[in-house]
Amino acid sequence: MSKKDDEPIPPSKKDLLDIASLSVEEIEYLLKSAGPFKELFKRSIKKVPALRGKSVLNLFYEPSTRTSSSFEVAAKRMSADVTNLSVSQSSVVKGESVLDTVDTLQAMKTDYIVIRHKAAGIPNLLANHTRASILNAGDGFHAHPTQALLDAFTFREVIPESRGKRIVIVGDILHSRVARSTSTIFNKLGVEVAVLGPGPLIPPGRNDFIKRLSSWEDVFDWKPDAVYLLRVQMERQDEQFFPSLTEYHKVYGLTSERFKTLASEGTYLMHPGPVNRGVEIVDEAMLYEKSLINQQVENGIAVRMAALYWLKPGTEEK
Amino acid sequence: MSKRLFKNGQIASEDSPKLIESDVLVDDGKITQIARGISADGAEEIDCSGCVLMPSMFDGHVHAREPGEDHKETIESCSEAAINGGVTGLILMPNTLPAIDNGNLIQSVLDIAAEKSRIPILQAGCITKNRAGEELAGIAGMAAKGAPVLTDDGNPVDSPVVLRRAIEYAMDFDLPLASHCETKSLSGKGAMNEGAVSYRLGLPGMPAMSEEICLERDIRIAQYTGGHIHIQHVSTAIGMNAIRRAKEDGIRVTCEVAPHHLIFNQEDIGNYDANFKMNPPLRTEEDNEALLQGLIEGVFDVIATDHAPHTHFEKANDFGSAPFGITGLETAVVSLYHHYIRNGRFGWDLLVKRYSAEPRRLAKADPIAINEGFDADFIVFETNATTEFSLEFMRSKSGNTPFIDKTLNGQIRKVVRHDALLLDR
Repeated sequence: MSKKDDEPIPPSKKDLLDIASLSVEEIEYLLKSAGPFKELFKRSIKKVPALRGKSVLNLFYEPSTRTSSSFEVAAKRMSADVTNLSVSQSSVVKGESVLDTVDTLQAMKTDYIVIRHKAAGIPNLLANHTRASILNAGDGFHAHPTQALLDAFTFREVIPESRGKRIVIVGDILHSRVARSTSTIFNKLGVEVAVLGPGPLIPPGRNDFIKRLSSWEDVFDWKPDAVYLLRVQMERQDEQFFPSLTEYHKVYGLTSERFKTLASEGTYLMHPGPVNRGVEIVDEAMLYEKSLINQQVENGIAVRMAALYWLKPGTEEK
Repeated sequence: MSKRLFKNGQIASEDSPKLIESDVLVDDGKITQIARGISADGAEEIDCSGCVLMPSMFDGHVHAREPGEDHKETIESCSEAAINGGVTGLILMPNTLPAIDNGNLIQSVLDIAAEKSRIPILQAGCITKNRAGEELAGIAGMAAKGAPVLTDDGNPVDSPVVLRRAIEYAMDFDLPLASHCETKSLSGKGAMNEGAVSYRLGLPGMPAMSEEICLERDIRIAQYTGGHIHIQHVSTAIGMNAIRRAKEDGIRVTCEVAPHHLIFNQEDIGNYDANFKMNPPLRTEEDNEALLQGLIEGVFDVIATDHAPHTHFEKANDFGSAPFGITGLETAVVSLYHHYIRNGRFGWDLLVKRYSAEPRRLAKADPIAINEGFDADFIVFETNATTEFSLEFMRSKSGNTPFIDKTLNGQIRKVVRHDALLLDR
């Protein structure tokens, strides 16, 4: 296809903590190697023996259906043994007790730990603490690297020559690990990123590292190739950042009228799920032919398989 | 009774950046002679070639954690840490468990100190009962027991009217109020300075204005009442400049800067290292430079470390859950030498003035100096040696410092106080 096929495989890393610490070569490799894994899904036997005899622990301290099941399916398709652990989902589970839990789980000789936690930096803490490979499945507001990989993979599927293309991320930019990781990966791949959202949900102060649009009119004027809606997460908000969900929908949501404009422009639509119908997205947009939302879910399994395949656990217990 | 002769050292003072080469004779705890080429019969000779002799330091902002949290630190370990860092006078903050909010509690701390500490210790009292910001604490009783200052340190006094009444009442006892400036509703659950770095790390931020708004309010209350407000651990250039203007206007405001706010900034947090987490948080590189200029220009009355020990277990938490605070007593002098004196950013006189002389004056403690007739109370500091801040080096019970396992230039060789050689290495 291209000369890229001859490029050497970048040396494996132990952990996948965020996108910022991946090089462009590493990202390109992960995206490229996800392709063949996705091809497998069309076969009657979807499994490969790559991780036979290896164990994967899914450690979720925050509720999650999509991400945890996606990691589970990915690991099983790699023939790994999977243990799912939904630990207490209260906010009082601090890093110290996570380390205690992991110490206990060391006895299982787990090779890969997939972790989601409310507190930013917990995966980094674990990575320094254990020989197992750590896959960050979302830590606080910090990072969600496999989401970013699946987003980039999905974007590339419909727009293969992505350099110089444009994407707008709409919603709670401040509290979104998806916005952080996904904008980082698109920036690294040469895709232009802009954001739209209520003022209090945009990173404050000197935030000139972010291109901010101020309305949907601006969004359409900017002619993005894709619009990426974020879930408006009321459960994160213990203080008020905007007056009401109704008002959010009116000002920042993809309303019927805006959806018509979007569809007429042929702009792709993305969302990390699960969606809040009637808040960030109007019902009818769910059936949009250029919606990539279901494709994102499917691709999530492929990129997670690619990540598991590439990472290499350490040899020594710490 | 002993006689010690410190030979060939260079003497620093608050009055001049110039060091004076001289011998110092200490007899029975008093400095009896300062001259070149002293010879004294029966004196133990201590060679101080390559060393600077300077008055011992005084730290006006220290958390000894006793009573209540002696797994982190005790008055004994805290005083030993101070000696290890060349500090021979402390003001302990009252945010212990229970909070020190009456005269009896002050007395109980002083009783422990009398038994366990080899250096004099002063205990600050609370402004309000249990630091709750509501009812005034037993101020007269605390004043009678020698509290040098009142503070709810760790908490601001949220209510302006409570702070107003407190400052008016404290004036009757000639006591300053020390203020931890923070607007709690703005800091929220913040774990570090709010800005590009907190965004990148996904950590909740504390905006600089949280500190600055409270600081401006406190200055205004001091101006209106005529009382004395002391602003603790100023971390932003804007806050410092507000104090500078207030001083020019003749308002009774004093302030302190912590070494970590000069040396480090938010970028140093790196990979979620909780040894860089404190409140107020590390700000920006521009703030570092502005605060340093302010220190050189005399905006800051004193340097104080906000020595805040926490155990390794507590700090080995995720950054957001780890407690605020780092230790400072053992690293302050060496780190200030390493970062600023060694390369000429400021002189020895600044260190002596801002970390020894002025804090003693503010606390109304007895003045010390390396002068004939004074009690001996000085440090011997070797400039060409280095200090490795290993856990073994630390005498604090906690090692939560950004300098842990770092090696810096300069070493405190001796700490002399009266007749005792408190530290000798």
